[in-house]
Amino acid sequence: MDFTAWLIVAYFAMLAINLRKRWGVIDGPWLFFFRAFFPNWKFYHGIQLAPRLYVRGQFDTPTWSDWQLIYPRLPRKGFHLFHNPAVNLALAHQNLVDHLANDINELPVGADIRDRVTYQLVKQLACQALSGGCWGDHPMLSNPTGTELSAYQFQVRMELPDGLNSQLMLQSPMETPWN
Amino acid sequence: MELIWAVRGFEILLGWSLLLQTLEYLRLPSLDKLTQWPILSQEIPARPAWLKATLNWLFQPKPYTAWLCLRAVLAIALMLGQVGLAGAWLLFVMALLLLLRWRGAFNGGSDFMTLVGLSGLLLSHLVATFTDASLGWQAGFVYISLQTVSSYFVSGWVKLLRPEWRSGRALTVFLDTGVYGPLSRNSIYRNRIVSLVCSWSFTLWEGLFPLALLDVRLAMLWCTVAALFHFLVFWFLGLNRFFWAWISSFPPLIYCASLTPQLRQF
Repeated sequence: MDFTAWLIVAYFAMLAINLRKRWGVIDGPWLFFFRAFFPNWKFYHGIQLAPRLYVRGQFDTPTWSDWQLIYPRLPRKGFHLFHNPAVNLALAHQNLVDHLANDINELPVGADIRDRVTYQLVKQLACQALSGGCWGDHPMLSNPTGTELSAYQFQVRMELPDGLNSQLMLQSPMETPWN
Repeated sequence: MELIWAVRGFEILLGWSLLLQTLEYLRLPSLDKLTQWPILSQEIPARPAWLKATLNWLFQPKPYTAWLCLRAVLAIALMLGQVGLAGAWLLFVMALLLLLRWRGAFNGGSDFMTLVGLSGLLLSHLVATFTDASLGWQAGFVYISLQTVSSYFVSGWVKLLRPEWRSGRALTVFLDTGVYGPLSRNSIYRNRIVSLVCSWSFTLWEGLFPLALLDVRLAMLWCTVAALFHFLVFWFLGLNRFFWAWISSFPPLIYCASLTPQLRQF
């Protein structure tokens, strides 16, 4: 085998060894923004608990609606291969929920999760969904609720993809749309 | 494969991918009332102050739209083979700006792969500035090919290490959670044998992707399967950007595979 082939084999052997190794996390604000320079290429690699966002609201009465899951589900269309902003936006919003769960896990002692940008964004996502928000022309909630939202709450639950083994991670205080 | 054809193929496909992405970015402000820059900017470090001030200006609606339009023009210019070092720099810097605008990634892996393509383009033009164009493109293509092959290799082997993928169960579960899901009750992917065969086929094909570097015919075969794979990923999971981002890396990959017999002579 020639030298180039050896180099290629050595490179992929090193990659394979690294798959089993757990490296420490290098942290920092700029590294977070530029993590695309260090892709780990691990997509859908295992079934594990994943964060899911649930919301409920009050619509001009003190009665709470049922908890509802906000999860991107949209109808497929052929031209989406070329232009798919609504689906990609919905997936980006679901990523915010993942990042909030990550922030909760890594929250330093004494810090308040409500100060985090991810919390503020997810809070707004919950409010928008209950206020009839859409991804494109598709409602964020599978059962759209009433019209005049007066108060709302959201939960982040860790669940298996099939919805089993649900564990509450965070429940927000009662929020108001104008706050 | 001739270098000239690989370069043209790469420029056209990368330009097309960038154009489609940019048209989506231009559409997003009318769809997205959530991820507004005044909130997102809280995460940008306060120092250096000039950088934060510049970003605050660049992400205001009008300048943001303006430089996205410039990105679309550059994408078309790239498809026409009219982007040099300055254009490559501009596209690279815009990619960095988009990473900052979208908290590190708007669409995960496709953003990563697009950055690989743009880094390769920039590397090609930089090396060409100091040596010659042919060596420049070869350097850029080797970088892109290694990243592309690594992406499949890692993605395949991490799955093969997991029992839920080896049993085929993970495939059904992930297709059920897809944005276009869940699968219908009588979907063939609910059949255990089908999901088992599909899982093993795709994970082995991904894990063995480095073989594509050994021969140009193998590279073409692997890339053809890859195109089908990415189309299915789009079909079930809605990831259209992944399809175009990865396909743009195939001409460099096929070109690098065509170099292997020449390398063996040394």
